[in-house]
Parts: sequence; C-alpha cells; structure tokens
Amino acid sequence: MSCIVAKSLSKSYGSTTAVDSIDLAINSGKIFGFLGPNGAGKTTTIKLLTTLIAPTEGTINILGIDAVQHPLEVRKKIGVVLQQPSYEPTLSVEKSLEKYGMMWNVKRKTRKDRVEELLASFNLEEIRSIKNEDLSIGQRRRVQVAREFMHDMELLFLDEPTVGLDPSARRSLLDFIKKKAKEGLTIFFTTHILNEAEYICDEIAIINKGKIIAVDTPEELKNKFGMEKTIKIHVQETQKVLSNLLSGIKDYELDFNSGTNITIRSNDSEEVLLKILQILTTNNIPIEDLAVVPTSLEEIFLTMVKNSNASSD
Amino acid sequence: MHPVIRLVNRNLTISLNKGFLIWQVIFPLIYIFVAGFAYTSLIDFVPLGNKMLDYPAYIASGMIGFNIMNSTLVSGIIIWNDRRHGMFEQILVGPFTRTHYMLSNVYTIGIIGLISAALITAVGYPLFFRSIEFNFLTILLLVFASVAGSILFGSIASIISTRLKSSEGFNVVINTVFLFFAFVSTAFYPAEGAPEPLSTAFYFNPLTYLVDVVRAGIFGNFSALLTIEILVLAILALILFVIATKLLAKLEL
Repeated sequence: MSCIVAKSLSKSYGSTTAVDSIDLAINSGKIFGFLGPNGAGKTTTIKLLTTLIAPTEGTINILGIDAVQHPLEVRKKIGVVLQQPSYEPTLSVEKSLEKYGMMWNVKRKTRKDRVEELLASFNLEEIRSIKNEDLSIGQRRRVQVAREFMHDMELLFLDEPTVGLDPSARRSLLDFIKKKAKEGLTIFFTTHILNEAEYICDEIAIINKGKIIAVDTPEELKNKFGMEKTIKIHVQETQKVLSNLLSGIKDYELDFNSGTNITIRSNDSEEVLLKILQILTTNNIPIEDLAVVPTSLEEIFLTMVKNSNASSD
Repeated sequence: MHPVIRLVNRNLTISLNKGFLIWQVIFPLIYIFVAGFAYTSLIDFVPLGNKMLDYPAYIASGMIGFNIMNSTLVSGIIIWNDRRHGMFEQILVGPFTRTHYMLSNVYTIGIIGLISAALITAVGYPLFFRSIEFNFLTILLLVFASVAGSILFGSIASIISTRLKSSEGFNVVINTVFLFFAFVSTAFYPAEGAPEPLSTAFYFNPLTYLVDVVRAGIFGNFSALLTIEILVLAILALILFVIATKLLAKLEL
C-alpha cells in the first residue's frame, strides 16, 4: 500500500520553479531515500509533503488523506525532523523531550517511559540536565531527532538528520532508523551522504533542478546506470614511459603526480584492461597492485546529475 | 487536551523562568518604593475623581498597567525566539495550526498579564488600601483591563517580532516603542500637570487608557471619559490582534 502519492506536484516562487511536476509513490514500511544536489528541490518537496507549504499545482495524498484539503489531519499522523535546527534554548534535554511529548498529547506515564528509552537510545543520558543552548551542534541534532520519537506516527520525514553528527553517532542513528522501519514505520529520508542512503534505503529517488531523474532500489540503480566500472592498477614504471606505451588506448587515466597509477573508467573496462595488461607484460613492467572498484551510488549520482545538467543546458 | 492548551502549557514553561519572574516583581517594586517615595516631596497629592491620592498610591496603581504592558513582551519574545530557533516551523509541522499558535500566545499573555496585575496589586496594596473601593464592577474592570491590555500590547510585540529578523533590531525597536509607551502616559504622573503638547500626547498612547481603567478598577472613580477609554482599549486590542494574526498567517516558511 502506498503511503505517499504525489502527482504532477509543482511549487514555484515567482518565475523560479523549485519543484517541477514530480510524481511519487512510496510504499508503507520502507525507507525511501531522496537524493539531490544543493538547491535541487529536496527541502521544498519535504515542505510540500509535510503540508508546511501549499503546492502551486498537483495533488498530494499522505496515508490516504488529501494533504492539500486536510493538512492538519495529515500532520497528526506524521513526524518531521526538519533540516534546520529547532530547539527550546532554555529547556534541558530531558525537559525538551518531555514537553515535546506533552505537545503531542502523549500520556504522562508513556512520556516518562519514552524519555528514559530515548535518552538511552540516543546516548543522551549524560547530558540530560544540560540546557539546549549549551549543547554542541551534534548533541542538539541528536536531541532534535530523538524528540520526534516521543510521539506515535505512521510516517517520518527526516531531512538530512545526520548533519553535524560524528561517525559513531551517525551509525547508531541509522541503525535506530532501520530498527524503526523494521517495526513498520515508513521513512522519507534525505541526505547528502550517499553511503548513508546506500546503507539504509530500500528505494531511492534522485532529484535535480526540481525534476526526478531516477527512482529505483540502490541495486537496480547500480545495474541500470552503473555499467561503467573502475579498475585501478599500480605499477613501478614512471609516467613518461607509461604514457608513451599506452598512447593508443582510450578510457584510461594516468596519475601524473606519481606516474605509477593507472585508472580505467569504461563501459568496456574488461577489454581496456586486457589491452593494458598485454602492453605491461610485453614491456616487462611488473604490476604491484590491481583492484576492481565496485560502482558506488555516489558515482551513479554524480554521473546522473551531470548528464541531467548537460541535457537541460 | 486541546492543542491550544498544550501550546499554552509549553509557552508558560519556556517563559516563566526565575529571571523573568524576578524582573516582573523587582522592576516595578523599585519604581513604587524608590520613585514613589522620592517624588512625594515634589508631587504631594494627585486628584483622582473625588479622591486625593498620595503619590506612592498613584504610582503603585500605575505600575499595574505598566507591568501588564511589560509582561506582554513575552508574546513578541516567544514568536521571535520560535522563528530564530526553528520552533515556529516545527510546531506548524506538528498537530497545530497557525490559529492555534496565535491563540496560545494570546492566552499566554492574558495569563501572564493577570499574574502580573495580581502580583503588583498585592505588592502595592499597603500603599493604596486606604482609598481602595473594590466591588464586583471594579474587579470586572481590573480583569477586563488585564486581558484587553495584554492582547493589545501582546499584539504590538507580535507585530514587531514578525517584521524583524535580527535580534539587535528586535531589541532596539521593542525597547524604544515600550519606553515611549511607559513614559508618555499617566502611569507615572498625571496628565493634568504635564506641559500641553505632552499631556495631549498622553492620550495618543494606549497605556494611558489601560492605566486609567486599572485605576478606576481600584479606586472606583467612574467618569464619562472612562467609558470612551474602555471602548478605545477594546477596539484597539481587537484591531491590533487581527493585524498580528494576519501577519503571522502570512509569515513565510
């Protein structure tokens, strides 16, 4: 069952189109990654889906409710961690969680239990009495994300939730999100860190200049768009000799600083590799190291955005 | 629990800290007991209807209106802080509407206004108890003044907070506006004794109307002018509240 359905969704500010006729259909219980470069339209899309702003055109259906006609009904069922920090400066971490639960009408006993549970899950116990204004950016972000789990929800929007977190806090947050998704929560997740998306997302959409340029699972995206492979060869010979020997071959790069690293990036990488190996063997150039680097989501993302920019220009 | 009540609860929690409460009591106390007694040698008695009030009693009653006005700064501070610290958007992606948010601010400043009025009435009581005339009508007047004054000045603070983004700008504008309200009014001295342009300016200031209604609520001095002042206060509070609500509704996210 789809819990987010958007059709021909657009948002314009004067002559600028931030979101340009996008369609989305996101299934329940999944983690949906929404990727895009800065200014691509990610945050505007989140603001539209969370009813914070109204669309210029199009329809939004969240959890079976028309979000344009009944925004309050939608907001009662969703959780949102916005990209920008949000906190009550004078409240302590513990009080922030407690008050946020109260604002969501969570019963006192449940609030008390959840505060303790979240303080432990987000490693906030040591700073529970410290006021928000005295916390570091990363600590404040952890409180902001933890706070959202004070109330029940069916769908959670996370707009770059790991910004400002150290690697260990980032990993434990991602694992916490994965756990919640396994329990049935649907998550709409935006990030700049593509490893994160690869780590937790069941499905990914890439947005550029307000348009969605790809939607699929990370694996399928790699299969469809990751034909180009990267092979790295490290040899002992210097660059001058190598560049002369390899002059007839296409689709390779030589690291001009060391002169000993050859990188092959090609859709036909196996054939290029064979030719290079042949030349190296014939010329008695020993290979010190050879590695096949799997295509990462980051490379696919960069290629797709580059192609999309080129076609729109 | 209704969403507005939940937001009022949250507003009171973040506003009523020790510092604010101390400031709310200490600040007027200094005026009442230092300025009140120091100026007694300059202002002997102040005529009020058919009564002659000594100056400490006059300023103590004026400080009730002054404190209601001062306490409504909270409204502007809540909105401004919510915008600055991202809570405005966070609340609006939660189970609340902009109307809930605005109403919660009105109720918050109404409650704080009433608490402030009660605090200063209690503190000033020893000074004006001799001339006091409490009955159902005067108490009703005091409650009306507290609520209407809170909405009026709270709306002004809200309007300023929706227009300004920098903390310096917000502080300068709000302090200048409220300083004008405080000293170009009958809170500290009677209009009758002031030079002509100033005494006229007093009546272009809503705090004068608020203070006059509060004094009528304490000393029972009713006049034809009082009815007009009550009407002006109510109409102005309504107009400013509508403007504040519209500006808040238009605030871009």
